Amino acid sequence: MAAIGILPVHSQNAAEIIRIADDKFNGETSSVGTMSMTIVRPTWERTVTFKNWARENDYALTLITGPAREKGQTFLKRGTEMWNWNPTVNRLIKLPPSMMSQGWMGSDYTNDDILRESSIVDDYIHEIIGEEVIEERLCYKIKMTAKEESSVIWGSQIRWIDKQDYLFLKAELYDEDGYLVRTETGSDVKVMDGRLIPTRLELIPADEEGYKTIVVFETLEFNKPIDDSFFSQQNMKRVR
Amino acid sequence: MKNYKYAWRNLWRNKRRTAITAASVFFAVYFALVMRSMQLGTYDYMFKSIIESYSGYIQIQNKEFWEDKIVDNAMEFSQEIESGLMSDENVKETIPRFESFALVSSGSRTKGVMVMGIDPVKENLLSGVEGRLVKYNLSDDAVEKLMNENIPEPVKKNLELFRGDLYSGDGRIQLDLRIKDKDADEIMQVIKEHASVENGYISMGEEGALVGGRLAQYLGLSRGDSIVLIGQGYHGTTAAGIYEIKGIVHVGTPDIDSRIIYLPVDICQELYSAPGMLTSLVLHLGSNDDKSIDETIERIGNDLEEPYRLLGWKEMNETVVSQMDADNKSGMIMIGILYLVIAFGVFGTVLMMTAERRREFGVLISIGMQKTKMASVMIFEMIYMGLIGIAAGVAVALPSIIYGYYNPIKFSSDLAKMFEDYGFEPIMAFQWIDTYFLWQSVVVAIIVFIAALYPVRKIFRLKEVNALKA
Repeated sequence: MAAIGILPVHSQNAAEIIRIADDKFNGETSSVGTMSMTIVRPTWERTVTFKNWARENDYALTLITGPAREKGQTFLKRGTEMWNWNPTVNRLIKLPPSMMSQGWMGSDYTNDDILRESSIVDDYIHEIIGEEVIEERLCYKIKMTAKEESSVIWGSQIRWIDKQDYLFLKAELYDEDGYLVRTETGSDVKVMDGRLIPTRLELIPADEEGYKTIVVFETLEFNKPIDDSFFSQQNMKRVR
Repeated sequence: MKNYKYAWRNLWRNKRRTAITAASVFFAVYFALVMRSMQLGTYDYMFKSIIESYSGYIQIQNKEFWEDKIVDNAMEFSQEIESGLMSDENVKETIPRFESFALVSSGSRTKGVMVMGIDPVKENLLSGVEGRLVKYNLSDDAVEKLMNENIPEPVKKNLELFRGDLYSGDGRIQLDLRIKDKDADEIMQVIKEHASVENGYISMGEEGALVGGRLAQYLGLSRGDSIVLIGQGYHGTTAAGIYEIKGIVHVGTPDIDSRIIYLPVDICQELYSAPGMLTSLVLHLGSNDDKSIDETIERIGNDLEEPYRLLGWKEMNETVVSQMDADNKSGMIMIGILYLVIAFGVFGTVLMMTAERRREFGVLISIGMQKTKMASVMIFEMIYMGLIGIAAGVAVALPSIIYGYYNPIKFSSDLAKMFEDYGFEPIMAFQWIDTYFLWQSVVVAIIVFIAALYPVRKIFRLKEVNALKA
C-alpha cells in the first residue's frame, strides 16, 4: 500500500490509457493484411510488398509478394522462433541468433523487434507528463519507464496517445542510458474493416542520417478464424 | 717509420694471435649477416605469399567500401577508369573482385563465409586460384590404403602425421612426407593411385563454386555437392543461390582457407543483385619491388578522383604489417643478444692479447717510446684486424646468402607440421644483399673500436717497472 502511495496520482490512469490503446492495437484475435514497406536510405529507396497473417501475438506468417526477385519468400514466427523459406534455393532456415539484430529484409526493423514483443502494459511504469497535438489530434503524452525486473530492450519510452480514440500516434524509444534510439509515428488514420487505425507507420532511427522505414497497410481484415496448422513449416512452402 | 707501418708489421710478428682476433670478428660478422638475412628474407617471403594470395599490392575501391565492407558500397568501375589504370607503365592487368559475406549451409551445418567473385582466368595472374586446386587428399581412407603399400617406414610415420591434409602440388607433399628424390617416382605413383583428387575449375557465366579446403572439410563437402549461399544483397535484397562445387582449393593461410568460397564474378554479381558492380579492382603489376610499387602508387594515386580510392598493400594488410613489425623487433633483440656475445668474444681476445704483450709494452716505453705513439700503433693494429675480420666475414657470408636466396630452406616432416600448425609456410628464405650488410659491418666495427679502448687505456696507465717484471 505504501508503494502505491508514493506513485503520482494519475499513474493508474496512465496505465489504464496504455492498456486501452494496446487492446485496440493488438487486441484482436487474428488479422490478415496486405502491406508495403519502403526502405529509405540517403542514396536509394526500395519497396517490398507482402501479405501477413497473424494470430494473437505468437503466430505470424508473412509472404513476400514483390519485387519479383524476392517474391515467394515466406517467414514464419512461432513464439520466439523465426523461420525463413526461400524458393530459389528451396531451403528452410531457422534464423540463427547472429541474424537477430539484422534488419528484416534490409529495413530498420530488426528481427528481434518482430519476435520479442514485450508487454507495454505490464513491463513499464506509466506516467502522464503532458498533452500535445499530433496530426491535429490532441494526445496524452505518457512516459513509460521499464520496471527493474522486466527484460525489455528499451530503458524508457515516450508515447503519444490520441485522447479521443486511443490510437498510438507517436513513440520515442530510449535505451538504458537515456539516449534516443528511434522514433516511430503513426498517421493516415483510416477505418479498416470497421476499425479506426493509423495506416502508415514510420520508423526513424536516431543515429543514422537519412534512414527511414515506412510501412503502409493497404488492406486489413480482423478476426477471421485461422487454423493452427496454417502457421506451419509445410504451409510456408504452399501459401500463396 | 710511420705508425701504421709499425702496426702492420706488428700484426705479422705473431700471426696466430692476429688470426685469433680477426677470426672472432669474422664470426661476428658472418653470423650477424646470415641471421639478419634469414630474418628479413623470411618476413619478405611471408609477406609476399599473403599479399600475392589475397590482397595484391594495389587495389582501387570505392572509398566507402574500405570503411564499411558491405555490398551497398560496391560500385560500377567505368571504362575510362580501367583504361586510365591500364595506361600506367607498371600496370599489366586489372583484376576484378566482388567480395562479400554469406551464410553457407549444407545439411544441418551453417557457417558464415567470405564470398569472393573472381574472374577465373585473370585471377590466375595474381593469386593463382587454379594452381591451388587440391591434387592430393590424405584422407583417413587414403592413409589406410597407403599403409598397406610397400613404402619406406619413415614415410609411413609422416603419413600418420599429415593425415587429413590437402596438397595442391607434388613438391610440398614430397617434402612433408620426406620422400627421397630417388624413391620419388615410385612412391608418388602409389600416392597418386590412392590419394589423388579430381578437380574442375570455374568459368565465367557458369554457376559453380570453389571451396576452401578446411571449409569443405568442416561442412563435409566434396566436388559435385551443392552448397546454398544466403546473405543480403545490394540495397537490402535477399541474396540466395545454390551452386555446385566444381573444386576444392587449398589456401596456405588457414584463416582464409576455413572461410572462403570463390564464385565467377558475374555469377556473384547476380547473387547479390548488383550486375556490373565490383567491390575492387586489383592491379597486376609488371614490377613488384618496393620502389616501383611506391612509384606506381604515387602516379596512380595522384590521378584518381572520387569516389575511387587507391589502397596500397601496407594499408590493406595493417594487422600483418604490425605483426611482422613486432616479429622484426624480437628479431632485433636476438641480433642484440648475438652482438653482446660477439662483443665479449672480441673483447676477450683483445684482453688476452694485451696481457700477453704487457712486458713488450714495458720494454718499449723504457727505451723511450712515447705512450701516445704506442697507443696509436695499437689502434691501427685493431683497425687492421677489424677490417680483415669484416672483409673475411662478408666474403664468406656472401656466397652462403646468395646460395640460400636461390635455395630457401624448406622444412619437412615434424618441423613442417609445426610451422603449418602455427599458420606459417614451413620455409626459411634469405634476403638478397641490401643495406643490412652495411649495418651489420658498421656495428661490428663499432664493437671492435670499443674493444680497442681497453689496450689504449692499459698503455697510458702502464708502470714500466711493474710491466718489466711481468
